[in-house]
Amino acid sequence: MKKRSPLLRALSYTRKRLPALFAAMLLYCASVFCTLRIPVFIGKAIDMLTDSGSMDLSRISSCLVTCAAYALANGLAMWLANLLSGRVVSSVVEEVRNDAFCNLQSLPISYLDTHPSGDTSSRIISDADIFTDGLLLGFSNLLTGAATIIGTLICMWRLDYRIAIVVVVLTPMSFLLTRLISRNTHDLFASQAVQRGVESSFLDETIGNQKLVKSFCREDERIESFREIDDELTEYSRRGTFFSSLVNPSTRVVNNTVYACVALVGGFACIAGTGGLTVGNLSSLLSYASQYGKPFNEITSVITELQNALTSAGRLFDLIDEEPEEPDAQDPASLSDVRGDICLSNVYFSYNKNEKLIEDISISAEAGSHIAIVGPTGCGKTTVINLLLRFYDTDSGNITIDGTDIRDLTRNDLRSCYGMVLQDTWLKTASIMENLRFGRADATDEEIFEACRLTEADSFISRLPDGYETMISSDSSTLSEGQKQLLCITRVVLALPPVLILDEATSSIDTRTELKVQRALELLMEGRTSIIVAHRLSTIRNADKIVVMKDGKIVETGRHEELLAKRGLYCSLYSSQFEAEENQEVHSD
Amino acid sequence: MQLILRYLKNYKKECIIAPLFKLMEVVFELLVPYVVIRIVDQSIPAQDRGLLIRSFFLLMALSLIGFSCTLIAQFFSANAAARATGDIRKDLFRHIQSLSYSSLDREGTAQLMNRMSVDANSVSQGINMGLRLLLRSPFVVFGAMVMAFTVDRKAAMLFVIMIPVLTVIVFTVILASRPLYARVQKLQDSLLLLTRENLAGVRVLRAFRREEDEKEGFRENSSALKSAQLAVGRLNAVLNPATVVVVDVFISILIYRGAISVGSGSLTKGQVIALYNYMSQILVELVKLANLIVTLIKAATAADRIDAVMKTAEEPAGSITERGDTDIAVEFRDVSFSYGGSGKMVLDGVSFSLRKGEKLGIIGSMGSGKTSLINLIPCYYEASEGEVLFFGRNVLEWDRKALRSQVSVVPQKSALLSGTVRTNLLWGDPDANDDELLEAVRAASAQELISEKRGGLDARIEQNGRNLSGGQKQRLCIARALLKKAPVLIFDDSFSALDFATDARIRKSLSSLSWAPAVITVSQRISSIKNCDRIIVLDNGSVAGIGTHEELLVGCPVYAEISESQSVTGKEAVNQ
Repeated sequence: MKKRSPLLRALSYTRKRLPALFAAMLLYCASVFCTLRIPVFIGKAIDMLTDSGSMDLSRISSCLVTCAAYALANGLAMWLANLLSGRVVSSVVEEVRNDAFCNLQSLPISYLDTHPSGDTSSRIISDADIFTDGLLLGFSNLLTGAATIIGTLICMWRLDYRIAIVVVVLTPMSFLLTRLISRNTHDLFASQAVQRGVESSFLDETIGNQKLVKSFCREDERIESFREIDDELTEYSRRGTFFSSLVNPSTRVVNNTVYACVALVGGFACIAGTGGLTVGNLSSLLSYASQYGKPFNEITSVITELQNALTSAGRLFDLIDEEPEEPDAQDPASLSDVRGDICLSNVYFSYNKNEKLIEDISISAEAGSHIAIVGPTGCGKTTVINLLLRFYDTDSGNITIDGTDIRDLTRNDLRSCYGMVLQDTWLKTASIMENLRFGRADATDEEIFEACRLTEADSFISRLPDGYETMISSDSSTLSEGQKQLLCITRVVLALPPVLILDEATSSIDTRTELKVQRALELLMEGRTSIIVAHRLSTIRNADKIVVMKDGKIVETGRHEELLAKRGLYCSLYSSQFEAEENQEVHSD
Repeated sequence: MQLILRYLKNYKKECIIAPLFKLMEVVFELLVPYVVIRIVDQSIPAQDRGLLIRSFFLLMALSLIGFSCTLIAQFFSANAAARATGDIRKDLFRHIQSLSYSSLDREGTAQLMNRMSVDANSVSQGINMGLRLLLRSPFVVFGAMVMAFTVDRKAAMLFVIMIPVLTVIVFTVILASRPLYARVQKLQDSLLLLTRENLAGVRVLRAFRREEDEKEGFRENSSALKSAQLAVGRLNAVLNPATVVVVDVFISILIYRGAISVGSGSLTKGQVIALYNYMSQILVELVKLANLIVTLIKAATAADRIDAVMKTAEEPAGSITERGDTDIAVEFRDVSFSYGGSGKMVLDGVSFSLRKGEKLGIIGSMGSGKTSLINLIPCYYEASEGEVLFFGRNVLEWDRKALRSQVSVVPQKSALLSGTVRTNLLWGDPDANDDELLEAVRAASAQELISEKRGGLDARIEQNGRNLSGGQKQRLCIARALLKKAPVLIFDDSFSALDFATDARIRKSLSSLSWAPAVITVSQRISSIKNCDRIIVLDNGSVAGIGTHEELLVGCPVYAEISESQSVTGKEAVNQ
């Protein structure tokens, strides 16, 4: 896809809302027009002021009524424009946000694995906000600002062109000054941001490990390091605060200079009487001059905001434009009554194309058989799971389920064949009930209770104050790690998939409950093809086939006894890892 | 708020100079319309060009003097804000270092982090803006009114009416929008949570094919956020138009009444223009004032939150630094314990003693109180009832640092800090030399971590040890704990990520440590503790049995059951 500039992309989101956007622009212009008309009429009224007794009060009052009418019209236009632009802004941000999130759901897992999740989520939430606020509000501010400046100049020109020239000549000073200041503050702010980052990771580490700090009596050392870091931050923040607070006073000086010059030149013009400048005109000019500075301030701040907005927009659109995973097969095969014959043949795969990971792997699992994959850390066991579920696609070779290549199936159909319990327990922030429904969205309450009784999760759930309605999340402390794992298992029990994938599922469960869970799992595995990344001796020994992997290759396959007899890698792994366990078991028998 | 005042005490000079010069700035600004009166009423009618030029220079001078005053004010207020906040942060950090475990549990890491960063920032902003604007804005508003009185009493009455009207509008809108903003913030947070969770659970979500439901959930939240933003927008949309209309209408009235006064000769044209100028100055400042008040309220609440943490009691500290003359390293006398006085006893009447050099195992199921028990030894928590003695002296009477330097705990969750293997190990003993470090690494079977390829002792460790596997982290934590060479060494389920061979190897090297510490091993695995001199079996916070492996197998049903559950696999294998 060709990349368009973030600005154009952003504008394309307003396409559906063009009428509202144009209406808002027109209304803002109308409001500027009204604002600029008011000093004219006030000036006229002031010119009619005289103590000579010939004052026409009715004409003055009609002038002032016009003024008030303009004021009301201005208020009305501004209000409507604010409402309209607010509506446009929030709908655009909503749409952009939703697009980004929806695209996230179809991104390849490799993208998500290689991009820090904090960064991705801040794109969707904060960047979306900065972008719309900055870009669209900035746009309207820029519009009114420019309109005000041009309008003011026209009005001034019509009153007295010499004064208008003076103003035009002096104006760039304001820009130069803010430019100068912001260039200096920019660097300061950058180093402040860096130092803030240093401090917050220091805090994160220290306070996050506060108990560790205390147990090693490192409090004083930490306090000392913090003092050093914080002193530097204090210094940056002192300078940053000071320099950034210079922008407003500096532009005010320029404005005041403009104001004084208008008074001087206007005064001379009044005295000379040439060009017909009246005191009322002068008053109008002065009030223009004092209004004139405001849009400049606004525009300069808008420009910074616009820059931020464009950066954010770029980050956001990068996410939206990120290539989704390879689409499902055009004409997908369909599976019915899956038996669960899984076959990997000559599979090659690596995450990073420069490094070999999985080489020439072939595993066949007949329906209902249990396959244990063992091997040292980093041998590629978990990668096999990634491939089976098509989180990643193989580089070459193929994987079939019941003889159908998994790439010919839709991912949805493929994944519906599997039940998965991973090493890391992941639960959604929701009630226990909702979490369990993940397994099967249409499960009845009774079916859920039944599944919980089967896995014995029921016993601890019913002891919770809110029972099945208890709110939980992955890192909530309401549940122990083992209990969370039980819920993850129950989730799968509910789904009753034809194929099971277990990744050290029971490693952190309490030994006493483990036995019960083990039984539930055995029940679940009964008659189902199960592929297990195994660490437990019992699972390995009960497996129909043990696949021993090392450095991404299969070195041995067979049953426990056969492999022991081979006296190969399995045998040495077994003796180093399980000897102690074995001894203990023999002993305790 | 008190907190802010307390910390500003060190910056009295700044707190006086900043507002004072801000005040002077206002005075010079308010003089401008007076100069304009002179131009309109004197120099123009009298065609006095000299006066006009002098007035011009006067205007320029007022502007430049005002600017210098501003610079001084901003400089001092920035100093006071940055430094006072720095002081607050440092004191708060120091205080957090002194909190007890139970206070840390109660406050929570996330909250403490927020106090240190977000709240400290709000305070800084509050001080800075407060010093600069708290005097300026009211002075401009009321100063303009007072100046109006000096010009014309009758016209000034209009100011007296207009100011309250504007105040009501501005404050109503700003204060009413605060809860709406809070709602927006809350919805934004929940959207963020949803996204983060979605990313964290992407494999599970896709395996369960929940993508569409997730999208639906996000859209719902997203549209709720939109409505909340619209509500804020609708309210804020009123502010500008309403105030501008009020001011312009009042200006029209002012000039009309001015016209009547000019007609009767009681007011000059220049004076009307001056009044008009004063009136336009008020609006901007009033909006600033309202925003300032919001900033100040925020700062005050943030300061209160910081203050609440600062007021949390520090960990009490005893004074004993020397061990008593006894062979008993640790003794529990009828100890009961509950977290934060919650009433639910986690430990109930536990008694045992541990001799120097003895090996003690503690076993029990999830939630039986194993970790709570060992946490009482270095006095991380205080026993609710009973006494915990360390070398003959109640742990409460020990100086906490002296006590903790003699107890080395390897926690369940391996915690490492960013840095290198060396910087992490030095926590155990800041004075250790490389040979000692290497020895500890060997004893913990962690040699692979300091291979040449990784950079030896200078091998990089990322935050929380992200670049290491669970087992590697555990071994490094063990090495670090060994370096402390403490007479009591505690392993809280610290072998869980190790394979049996490594587990056995480490346990072997533990038995030959030169300083022969008493070792407490907490585990759920029978194999990890069965060779201990004595084993304590915990069940629901009570001691279900104490003895050797063999004794307990016979005499303690809970132990026998645990043993049974772990060996059942073995039996099955035999049966097959």
